[in-house]
Parts: sequence; structure tokens; C-alpha cells
Amino acid sequence: MYISLEGISKRYAAVTAVDEVDIAIGKTEFVSLLGPSGSGKTTLLRIIAGLERPTTGRVLIDGVDVTDLPPHKRGIAMVFQEFLLFPHRTVRENLAFPLRMQQLSKEEIASRVAWAAGILSLEGLEDRYPNQLSGGQQQRVALGRGLVAHPKVLLLDEPLANLDRELRQEMEVEIRRYQMQLGIPFIYVTHNQEEAMSMSDRIAVVSKGRIEDFAERSEVYDHPKTAFIAQFVGRSSHFNGTVSAVSSEGASVDISGVKLHVSRNANLKAGQRVVVFVKNEKVQLEARTDTARANSIDCRIKDIILRGAYAEYILDAPALGAELVATRPRSETVFTAGQEVRAFWSGDAPDIFPADKAA
Amino acid sequence: MTISRLKRKATKGLLLLVLALTYVFLFLPLVHIGIAAFARNFTYPYPPLWTLETVANMFANNLYRTSLLNSFILGLGSAVIATVFSTIATFGLLRYAGRHVAKFVLLFMAPLFVAEVLLGISSSILGGFFLQIPGNLISAMLANSIHCFSFALLIMATQLYRYDWRLDEAAMVFGASPAQTFFEVTLPLIWPGLLSAFIISLILSFNNLEISFYLLGATPTLPSMAWGALRHGIKPELYALATVVNIVVFVILAVIFVLMKTGSVKFGYRPERESSIV
Repeated sequence: MYISLEGISKRYAAVTAVDEVDIAIGKTEFVSLLGPSGSGKTTLLRIIAGLERPTTGRVLIDGVDVTDLPPHKRGIAMVFQEFLLFPHRTVRENLAFPLRMQQLSKEEIASRVAWAAGILSLEGLEDRYPNQLSGGQQQRVALGRGLVAHPKVLLLDEPLANLDRELRQEMEVEIRRYQMQLGIPFIYVTHNQEEAMSMSDRIAVVSKGRIEDFAERSEVYDHPKTAFIAQFVGRSSHFNGTVSAVSSEGASVDISGVKLHVSRNANLKAGQRVVVFVKNEKVQLEARTDTARANSIDCRIKDIILRGAYAEYILDAPALGAELVATRPRSETVFTAGQEVRAFWSGDAPDIFPADKAA
Repeated sequence: MTISRLKRKATKGLLLLVLALTYVFLFLPLVHIGIAAFARNFTYPYPPLWTLETVANMFANNLYRTSLLNSFILGLGSAVIATVFSTIATFGLLRYAGRHVAKFVLLFMAPLFVAEVLLGISSSILGGFFLQIPGNLISAMLANSIHCFSFALLIMATQLYRYDWRLDEAAMVFGASPAQTFFEVTLPLIWPGLLSAFIISLILSFNNLEISFYLLGATPTLPSMAWGALRHGIKPELYALATVVNIVVFVILAVIFVLMKTGSVKFGYRPERESSIV
């Protein structure tokens, strides 16, 4: 693989920030490190950059062991959350900085800076100083500074966190396009699952310094490997219950008297305490009828939140003693607040995990 | 209503009086010497009989010129040493000291709490009597840079406290070596702090008598020469000397002030949103 981390740990006195991480990343891959704040994902990125030394383990970039190399000898580039543009340099000088450090010719520098200014629509701003730019423009300069360098790998530390939503979505598309254009790996740290989902080839979910799972984005979303991932990725409701029976077709789960069928059994034993997650978009709604239906619960619509093409129904399920949420396209039947409905889902919709491992 | 207005006026008047008295207290000696330096009747120059003779005499005197030059060399040397070391020390304190920072600060500040006379005597005992190094400008320079270092460190630390060290990291990941990082990014952003530390050190050691006195040997500097001259009675040239030095300092300050007011010289990078009194 093009970049590998082998047995990387980072400990500060009593705290373990990164714990025995192994990752291998291909030459043209876009990889996201997704995790909540304090999970160690930024430390991991800084270890790849050479800004932190791992306590144990090796970092290899393009087959070379760079563990003991300082950042400037690693041939990398980085985009920071706080942009960190050089305040005493113009946009042009900021963009040219990595190229000057590589001692490229004046012509080469000029043409690459012009290229970056072009694709990032920074033309006409080249002679401004960072404090004369808007947040979005500063972000584009920060990104451009990483792209012009043609690094072996571009490290991105929550580069879009300081931008508003609209700008962020625009930039997600752009960033992915540059990654394909340059044909180099991007390692993208974020706590925002939407960003990770929209851009990545693979996602590494990080929690408490460990990699919970490192897999294709659809795999991470559709088949969460751990309860933590099920909770952190996507939006879902969850219930605590007990396994009442296990068969080859799955498991029956008892949730405060309500029987549910789960077609994945995940090596469960009868009597085991479990947590069941159901993704909001997998919960369907229908008007109450007398016909019985498996995996259904009578609910009352407490509130409706409109999200453009989707409506989020906040449901009160007295039988479960809990709330659950159904996200439905607005092209479907429209329900109103206060209405008594029935929520149901297919047997393969829930993800089920032993309760002791639940977050 | 009239009473409260009277009260306000009285308070304001009192404040102005205190202000005026403070300035008189601070500047009266300087003004007196300034007038005396240009007066024939220098012991009681009221009214002054104006003359430029004293100033001319002073400039004609070889001893004064040598002293001035020596003082300047001493000041410059100490300032360079103090600034270099205090810069390194500040970097260490702010970046690497961690939880030990208080201990290091205490050590670095210690020279401020030692009487300068003691600093001078101990340095001369160590250098002159124990190590047998004859007193000269170099030994005085080294001794002066000890307490200049502490002052310079205080100034640098307050200035560099606001520096965002992550800019150094940004430079490094884009291929800058530690030296390039310092000269391309750090130095251009922190030089105002360095300059103020340098100027303060320069002035301190230029004016210093207590430390230099024991280490200079036979080398005259302005303060040591002035002190020596006092023993042979106060000469008018001393008035002229004091005045000329003061005038130079005031002119420099005035030029800096005007340049900064008009904005033709910006002291380093300053974020737009952040305003400052200068």
C-alpha cells in the first residue's frame, strides 16, 4: 500500500490518544478519519504529518519509513481547520510558499500558482493579504496551498468546519474532484459524517484512539460493525431489549413487552441483553389498521420537522416507553402532528449489538 | 445640581493639578539641566545667559567622544547578546517548558532581584580576581547582558505570547526546514518584540554604571566618565552631555511616534480586528 501505519500508538503520561492503529491506504484513495472530538483522529493525522512522534509503531509513505523524518522531509501537505495562512504574505506568496521550499523555477511557481488561483476562483485576489479575505476565500487559499505542492499525500484536518453549510457542500464536490485530478491520496479528518460520506472511498471510524472499522463508505453506513458506529454514523433510534429466541432466520427481541424480529442474529444467545438500532429512514409509517404486521409499533406523531425533500416525524411510542424518529420523503403520504399512526420496518433493517458493548 | 457640578469641576481640577505636578516632578530636573547646559551662568541659570560654548567644549573634548563611542559599543554588544539569548529562552518557555514554566521563569528573572552593584562586584570577583581576566569592554558587555537578558525576556514573552505557533507547523508541513521556518514565518511576525527587547537592552547597558564600573578596567564610558568627573567638581560639560543624550532619546521617540501615527511604519503584522493604543 502507498501509505501504511503499523502499530501506531501515542501516549501522553496516563492518557492514550492513539491505541495500536494499523491502516493501509492506496495511491488514489480518498480516506476519511471519522470520529467525535477527542477520539484521536487529529493526533493520528499529525503523526502522519510528522508534527507528533508516535510512542510506538511506524509510518510508511510510498514505501519509505518516515517515522523519524521531520515534517519538511516527508513530501506532504496539509490543510488546517484554522487555515493558518501566513498573515504577512499575500495570497500569491502563500500559494507559492511550498513551491519555493521545493526550490522550483520561477516559471513553474508562477504557472502552478496561476493554476491554483484559476481552479479555486481566486483570480484578482492574488495581492490581497489573508485578513482581507472572507472565510470561504481563506479556506480556498489554504486548500490551494496544499494542492499546488503536488504532495505525496494531502492531509486535511476538518478544513470545512469553519464554513457555512452551503459553502461546505460546494467544497465537498470540489475537493473530491481535485483528489481525482491529482491522483494522490487525501486523508481527511472530520467529525461530520455527511462530509465523510460524500467524499470518501473508505472511512475509518475512530473512537477512543482505536479504529472501530475501516471499510467502504456504504459498508460503514449499511452494516455498522459496532454499536458505536451504529450510533455515530447515520441517524437512528435505539432500544434496549433482551433476546427471547434465536433461530437460523434471526433473533426475536423483547423490548419492554414488544416483540421484534431481527433477521441478523450476530451470534446472539437467548436471554442476552442487546441494543437494537433502527435508522430513521428505514422506519416507515402507515395509518392504523386492524391487520397485524410484524415489527410494528403504534405511535403518535409528536412533531414534524421539515428538511426540504424529507420530513422527520418525531414519534411517541408508549408501548416502548421511548421516542423514535422516522425520516420519510415528502413525496409519500403526508401525516400531521398529533395523528395516531403505526411505525414499522423490515426485519433486516435493525442493527443489533450485545448491550455490554453499547456506547 | 449646582453643587454636583461644582464637585465635578473640583474633582477635574484636582486631577489636572496632580497630573501637572507629576509631570513637573518627572521633568523639572531635565528642564533645569537643559537650560543650564546652554547658559553661561550654569550654576543658577535664571535668567539664562545663552551660549553654545559648553556644548562645543564637550564635543571638542576627546575623552567625551571616546566615552560616547565606548558606551555605544557596550550597549550594542550587550543588547545583541541579551536579545539573542532571551529570544531562545522565550521560545523554550513558550513551546517546550510545559508545566516547568514557572521554575524557569523564576530562574530567568532572578537577575532582576539582585542589586546591580552586587552583580557588578560578583562578576568582577569571578572574572578579575578568580579567573584573572582583565576588565575591559567585553567583560562589561557580558556582565551587563545578565540583567538585560531578564528585561528583554519580559518584553519578548509578553509579545510572543500572542504568536500562533501553529503557523510554524504550517510552514514545516509545506517543506520549510526549522531555519527556513524561523526566517520565513516566525521572525517576520515577531520582530517588533525583538526590536523592543533590543532597544531596551541597549539603553539599559548604555546608561549602566553600577555593573560596568567594576568590569570596565580603565575603559571610560559615559556614565563612568561622568561619575569620575563628579569627584573633581561638577563641570558644565556634564550638563551639556546629559542634555545632548536626552535630546537624542527624545528625538528618536518623537520620530518613532510620528511614523507610527502616520502609518508609514507598521510595527509588525497586526490583525485587522485587533486595535492597539499605538
